[in-house]
Amino acid sequence: MTTRVITIVGFAFLTAVLIALEVIGRRRTSRIPTVGEWLGYLMRPRVGRALILLGWWWLGWHYFAR
Amino acid sequence: MATEDVRPAGHPLRRLGARRWPRRNGHPARDALIGAGLVGYAWIAGSTAPFSGKALVSVLIPGAVLGAIAYGRPPERLPAPDKLDITGVSYWLICLAAGFEWEASAFKDNSLSWHPSLTNLINPLLDPHPVRSAAILVWLLAGWGLVRR
Repeated sequence: MTTRVITIVGFAFLTAVLIALEVIGRRRTSRIPTVGEWLGYLMRPRVGRALILLGWWWLGWHYFAR
Repeated sequence: MATEDVRPAGHPLRRLGARRWPRRNGHPARDALIGAGLVGYAWIAGSTAPFSGKALVSVLIPGAVLGAIAYGRPPERLPAPDKLDITGVSYWLICLAAGFEWEASAFKDNSLSWHPSLTNLINPLLDPHPVRSAAILVWLLAGWGLVRR
């Protein structure tokens, strides 16, 4: 197994874990918050809202404009 | 982060008033028109060449529009939780920290082919026009989702 494959497997594994956390978080009895819940929590203060929206815009710029 | 245990295991309280899916607002024609507009915009934006002025403008416009909506005329926001369960949040933090570390190590190594960064892996996937447009549409919808938070 090459290091390139190991790198890709690492990203795939982390992505799978993040999806699993979201799925588990949507269970009614789960203590794990969903993405929407912790993002909403971070976006309660005005500065948090600005930073999260800036991060969203940066992602678009990073992947679609360059 | 001011988090603490707020929901013991098995506690039925979830969502804290937030609706999992938005309710129908009784304007299907308007929604269809907006949806078509977003798809059209994503299709046009997906056709722009990377590193071009048009590509930059295509991401600046949604950013400006959503920024203006978020601060000028915000829509009804989904209620956010007052507190988060610190244990539950820690799972997210560990995974995100591991992801940043994995990406940073690739970035540090100058994204060589033997340790590519996430960007190097994703960019070739976004090359086909339909895929790029679909990704832009998802990005736009995610932005709208954030504005409602």
